[in-house]
Amino acid sequence: MAFEYLGGGWPISRRVRGAHRRSWERLASAGFWWTGVERVAIAAECRRAAALAAGESADSESGAAGLGGGRVGLPEAAVHAVQKIVVDNANLSREWVEEVCAAEGMSEERYIELLGVLVHVFSIDELHRALGIPLEPLPAALAGEPSRRRPTGARRVAGWLPITPPDALDAEDAGLYDNAPFAANVLTALSLVPDNLPWLADLSHAHYLSYAEMRETGKVREISRAQQELIASRVSVLNECFY
Amino acid sequence: MQGTTDDSVDVGVPFADVLMAYADAAVRRDGDLAERRAAVESALGAEAVVDAAATVANYQRMVRIADGCGIPLDEVTEQASAEWRESLGVNEYYSALNTYGEEVAAPA
Repeated sequence: MAFEYLGGGWPISRRVRGAHRRSWERLASAGFWWTGVERVAIAAECRRAAALAAGESADSESGAAGLGGGRVGLPEAAVHAVQKIVVDNANLSREWVEEVCAAEGMSEERYIELLGVLVHVFSIDELHRALGIPLEPLPAALAGEPSRRRPTGARRVAGWLPITPPDALDAEDAGLYDNAPFAANVLTALSLVPDNLPWLADLSHAHYLSYAEMRETGKVREISRAQQELIASRVSVLNECFY
Repeated sequence: MQGTTDDSVDVGVPFADVLMAYADAAVRRDGDLAERRAAVESALGAEAVVDAAATVANYQRMVRIADGCGIPLDEVTEQASAEWRESLGVNEYYSALNTYGEEVAAPA
């Protein structure tokens, strides 16, 4: 079973293990716009970018098993996008994103799904790196075709790309925002591909806080809320992230 | 907030120094990551190390979502944070363009 954490020596909670396993299941499955093979290849490219940015060879980062499927079938623009987002996220621009989305084999929907896959895999890998434990080998891709469903209510509201706002959900996406009439921009940002949002909520709960826990003022994790927010702010500053 | 950009400021959070040093090493993948991780473990325990690492991991993700989609600050946050963003120099970040457009200078 993936994410056993048998040899690392750290007390990884069941909450985290479970979310990581569900993440690998999501990663391996066909999405809305990429196949499972392509999604795993995006994850492998994410690892390659992180390794090279750290001055390591890709193989030294995770071993052949960790890199999984490599560059199978990814458009050149997708590979470039992964590298840029992993390594140089502070300098992304509207023009750059538009160029990526217009490139051969890409689209707005494919970019958003790529970003969703990338950030979740990167987050899990960053947790491993911060703890000094080996990366989990990438999963074997599952068969299946992308649904290619674009939400009918998707539109530009804020940011560079369309989102699916809470007031324009299709029936199959009804629970996407837990019936909230409003959601912060960072929560709607990936909603052009609705499957990104449950993944976002699940891993946020595991690594940080659930949306309900965010409203609590007391200590929820082993470090206090103030300590969590301090780390969050520091990471944002180090990344020069204005948001 | 000043302490997140100025190490000489006491932020008033217990063990802020060891936690920020750990976050720095994790994000920058510094050679002293193991040493800084051990300092957190010594001060707060192994479970706290995992939670601190997970918080770093969470925000390594969230900043890339925000930057990758070019989202502006939400209006409420924009108003509430105006004063300290100016004092921290955050308005100079390139991604401030996503909220303020071309009014903000491009990066060097």
